[in-house]
Amino acid sequence: MIAELRNVSKVFADPRSGRGLVALNDVSLSIEEGEFLCLVGSSGCGKSTTLNLMAGFEAPSRGQMLFRGEEVSGPSPERGVVFQEPSLFPWMSVLQNVMFSLQDGGARKAVREERAMEQLRLVGLDSFAHARPNDLSGGMKQRVAIARTLAMEPEMLLMDEPFGSLDEQTRRKLDNEALSLWQRERKTVVFVTHNIDEALTLGTRVVLMSPSPGRIEREWHIDEAWPRDLSSPRMVSLRQEVVGMLQACPCANGAPRPSLLTLEED
Amino acid sequence: MARDLGNVLIGVAVIVAAWWLTAEAMIHLRGAAFPTPPEAFVALWEALLGAELNNATVYAHTQSSLSRWGAGYLIALAFGLVAGMAFGTAPRLHDAGMVAVYILQMVPGLAWIPIAMLIFGLGEAATVFIIAMTAIPPIVINTAGGIREVPTVFTRVAQMSGREDSSVFLHVLLPAASLSIINGMRIGLANGWRVLIAAEMVVGVALGLGFSIYQSRYSLDFTAAFVAIMVICVIGLTIEKLLFVKMENKVRNRLGIDREDDT
Ligand SMILES: Nc1ncnc2c1ncn2[C@@H]1O[C@H](COP(=O)(O)OP(=O)(O)O)[C@@H](O)[C@H]1O
Ligand SMILES: [Mg+2]
Repeated sequence: MIAELRNVSKVFADPRSGRGLVALNDVSLSIEEGEFLCLVGSSGCGKSTTLNLMAGFEAPSRGQMLFRGEEVSGPSPERGVVFQEPSLFPWMSVLQNVMFSLQDGGARKAVREERAMEQLRLVGLDSFAHARPNDLSGGMKQRVAIARTLAMEPEMLLMDEPFGSLDEQTRRKLDNEALSLWQRERKTVVFVTHNIDEALTLGTRVVLMSPSPGRIEREWHIDEAWPRDLSSPRMVSLRQEVVGMLQACPCANGAPRPSLLTLEED
Repeated sequence: MARDLGNVLIGVAVIVAAWWLTAEAMIHLRGAAFPTPPEAFVALWEALLGAELNNATVYAHTQSSLSRWGAGYLIALAFGLVAGMAFGTAPRLHDAGMVAVYILQMVPGLAWIPIAMLIFGLGEAATVFIIAMTAIPPIVINTAGGIREVPTVFTRVAQMSGREDSSVFLHVLLPAASLSIINGMRIGLANGWRVLIAAEMVVGVALGLGFSIYQSRYSLDFTAAFVAIMVICVIGLTIEKLLFVKMENKVRNRLGIDREDDT
């Protein structure tokens, strides 16, 4: 086990009513070393909140967020994040963006540059090292973002719908790249998506969350080898099961509305 | 560039035409000594050749105006940037303090005159104070706003790579907010320049473009006032268009946002 949410609840102040908005209610989840965990669920069910807790960007309102047995107190290079929204600094070149994430920690500039170039080579973008992010396509930007996060050599990779805004074809291609990257490095990956097919193609485990308030509904271990054939009888029935669960959830059809209730802080 | 020049010429022509019509109308209807554009341009030419307006050359007036404005603006920059950065990075401070800044912004330039005189009396310091007070609010507002609008994801990227707060500020917040900061600096500069006329009502020394305009009420030398107005417009435009537009394009380019096509 590398990370663990232990009875975690997260309450945000609802900007309109000023009351508590329960984004996560009593969530417990263990993340095993080396697994490829996919978090799925309709929008607003707390997937990003869960990831932000693991990253240390947010602190639990209740319960504990543990990484290697210790409570997470803030963001750290050991837990690298790939964001859905554009996150490259437009005022830096691609290479500078990747180098930005490398700790200065004594390493000379030339050494850091070499390491950054190596990461860009791994995502096939070394020839764009001196381009500006805005000159790249959406898929290339996300590849650079992945390279930047990997350059920090994180122990756990947290990806929040990293390919959610890309077209279907590019998404599939990057899914495969992410998969081969994981197969090569065997880093622990937590991958958020609202696309069930994407989760079934990639994950060694799929965790379904449901909203109002955000909680874990069910999980499936998938020991199928890659590349996976989603039209195989086993995957088809698995897919039906997940989709069925998702639709059984009371909020799946309407707009997800998180419950408004107040949790006392303790 | 040629298109820009064309637009500038059209703009100038529109203003001159409106001015000329007004002048002729006032001369015929009211018998007022309204200077026409040719009279004013001749006077400007003579002034540039060294003729005196209100007992000093146009160069002496311009120089003293520029130096007051420069002093007021530098003070405004120092206060405005520091306050803006503080408000931008400390939400509690922002919530508590920004209302005061917005109130200051609402105070019209002329209203600072009694306040300046009560604090500093007549003289250079009062003028500089007025210029600074009108330049500070837009600098604070745009600096703070620019920093606060930096996407959370940018700061998170820096935090997860283990950066200290000071490094996040220097390498992420400042560059990401730089366009907005420059915009505030530009508005502040323009505010300060525009308030010169009001501010120079309280100068101790009989020098300055604003003072020249104000003085024409007594000397009835309205042509001199128009010369001063033209000089003020040309200097304001030059600084705004040449200096700030260049600076902004450069920053845009460095930031990698919508690069200018024609540079
Ligand atoms: N910073 C915040 N302040 C207030 N409410 C928030 C904040 N972040 C998330 N929420 C709310 O918490 C719920 C879960 O959000 P999120 O974790 O982003 O869902 P998902 O990623 O599954 O779409 C949503 O209702 C959202 O509006
Ligand atoms: Mg989300």
